[in-house]
Amino acid sequence: MIGLSPLIKTALAIMLCAGLIYAATRTLDLYTLSIIGFVGINVMLAVSLNITNGFIGLFSLGHPAFMTLGGYLTAILVMAPARKAVMLSSLPDALAATQWGFFPALLAGGLFAAAAAVVIGYPVLRLRGHYLAVATLGLIFIVQSLAVNLSGLTRGALGLSGLPALTSLWWVYLFVGLALFVSWRLKHSSLGRAMLAIRENELAAACLGIRVARIRVLAFALGAFFAGIGGGLWIHLVTLISPHSFTFLMAFQLVVMVVLGGTGSITGAALIAVALTVSTELLRPVEEAVGLFGASQMIIAVLVLLVLIFRPTGLFGTAEPDFLPKLARVTGPTRPKPKL
Amino acid sequence: MQPWKNGIAALAAAFLTAAVSAPAMAQEPINIAALYNVSSGGLASLDGPSLNGVKLKAKMINDAGGLLDGRMIVINAIDTKDDTREAATAAQRSVAISGLTAGIGHSDTTFALASAPLFQSAGIPFVTSGATSPDLPAMVGSEMFLVPFGDDVQAYAMAEYAYNTLGLRNVALWTDNAMDYTTGLSRYFKERFEALGGTFAIEDVYMTSDQDFSALVARLQATDGVDGVFASSGPDTAGIIVKQIREAGLDLPIMAGDGFDTDLVTTVPGPTLATNVYYTTHAYVGLETGPANEFRSAYEAEYGNPPENAFAALGYDAMGLVADAITRAGSSDPADVTAALAATSGYANAVTGTIAYVDGSRVPSKPVAIMHVVDGAVSLETTVTPAS
Repeated sequence: MIGLSPLIKTALAIMLCAGLIYAATRTLDLYTLSIIGFVGINVMLAVSLNITNGFIGLFSLGHPAFMTLGGYLTAILVMAPARKAVMLSSLPDALAATQWGFFPALLAGGLFAAAAAVVIGYPVLRLRGHYLAVATLGLIFIVQSLAVNLSGLTRGALGLSGLPALTSLWWVYLFVGLALFVSWRLKHSSLGRAMLAIRENELAAACLGIRVARIRVLAFALGAFFAGIGGGLWIHLVTLISPHSFTFLMAFQLVVMVVLGGTGSITGAALIAVALTVSTELLRPVEEAVGLFGASQMIIAVLVLLVLIFRPTGLFGTAEPDFLPKLARVTGPTRPKPKL
Repeated sequence: MQPWKNGIAALAAAFLTAAVSAPAMAQEPINIAALYNVSSGGLASLDGPSLNGVKLKAKMINDAGGLLDGRMIVINAIDTKDDTREAATAAQRSVAISGLTAGIGHSDTTFALASAPLFQSAGIPFVTSGATSPDLPAMVGSEMFLVPFGDDVQAYAMAEYAYNTLGLRNVALWTDNAMDYTTGLSRYFKERFEALGGTFAIEDVYMTSDQDFSALVARLQATDGVDGVFASSGPDTAGIIVKQIREAGLDLPIMAGDGFDTDLVTTVPGPTLATNVYYTTHAYVGLETGPANEFRSAYEAEYGNPPENAFAALGYDAMGLVADAITRAGSSDPADVTAALAATSGYANAVTGTIAYVDGSRVPSKPVAIMHVVDGAVSLETTVTPAS
């Protein structure tokens, strides 16, 4: 098993996941399936935020803004023209008359978010540290205000409800696989090493000839692309979008996933995303029974404090833990002592 | 014993078990989902009493022996926390309940629009106790049923009362742009008031989350010749609007729809400022019919206080209508119940007025009560039965 080539291992993993998804769609009820869908979308969002926050060290809180942008475009493209005529009166004719399939609409949403990231990135990414965090936070409010006030395009504060429930587990995990693949290949490439270098010491990286500004905007846009797709998938799972669907609270949850998992570790971000989403859903009936709404958020906040005090680099730091050799080391023969 | 006696004993045991279990199998409960915002937001002042009404009616039916030969009604109440995303998730959880017969819920159109489409795609009827947009059945589909009258009916009633009885000719229109209910209500009020010959001195908009209306009040004061304000508002902003208009020294009559049917409209401004306010709501107060009296005394006995507002009666009627449909359908299968609901020709045990869905419409035509607030006390002014 350990000696197999990475390609075969990946193919086996994909087949295993496909088998699990098939079994799940056959046996589980709609509500549990939607929870599994949310888990997948959160993994994708955490992994994409890891590109922006982890690899290149930008403290970006802007993911919800890109989710809103991508989500609205996807919803508008997928909606039937008859419904658009009733709900959205000022759409340009090109958008009002067409109806796209789900996959192209998702890609369009992702590209729209990425384009917005490029346009916003060049001025905003000159900022560093806390200033960047506040600027990207402001981005959330700007996008919310646009969504509320451009009511001819977005139906304003009322939002769009009754969206077709197009998100199935297959779509979610297709994009999760894509995000993991892109992230993994990026990290283990020279571009990825350039990003890590920029994170460690920007001046040294610039001295080595790395084009810092372009790579920062690229990382920002890549994260925004997957955020836009995540937004499109999310709203077609919940079947509604409003300007307040994706708020600062979501930004905080995603940043927590990246921080707890280790800034720069793809495996860490993915594992923590799964753990946090599952535990929030499991705690929901407990919250209702005890009457202590918001308990899951309190627990997450305490966890973050503990991790930041005792293990500031997060669960895995920047490393990608390789579990299989560790298992072999534990169970295999002892190494021979070196002769002096 | 001899072998053949063993056989007969076994057969007898089997028959006895089947005979005993047959009524036990028929006791399988009837599951109804109830989706309301009970824990937060201004809508909790409408949804809390609505849920109480639903549970009261279910309890009364169960105490009288249940439906369909002794099956008990089980209400699965889910709190939607004043969040439309929670409403959609709650609807998903509800349709996943095995054997769900129907869903009841929501006092607001925006929340009904979030939950009902999921019931529609699952083929389960959704009866809203308090959402009033007459466009809901068209927007959602064949599984959507309204218990209250539509916003067009109540807005026309208020427009006619304002013009004919109060003698208002030039009013200000304040609309909450963040609720489907209020935007629709304003549109219908404007349509009828202008048709009667009235004019609008000023038309302003705000958001449900606004707490400060000083800019709107200032514009109102600066405009001459305004003799009334129609505040199209939900319960969150009802009390605040009355308070801030009166605090600015303006005495002109304030009119509204059933979004003002909440204790917030008297408690937030206080007794001195909560005066000269008129609002339309579901006819219930002042009705001395059998079902209304029975409802009032049962509610007081169960919850220790009289029904807080008309929405308690609406919840009671929603449950009653669903139970009546189940009885007429003779089964708890959702498709049969939907057909029975669509064929409702006169459910007369409703506290808020007979419910009938005529000509394929799923919005009933019911009387409108106009309430008057004087010095913090709410009283029934008149009940109008819509003509058109």
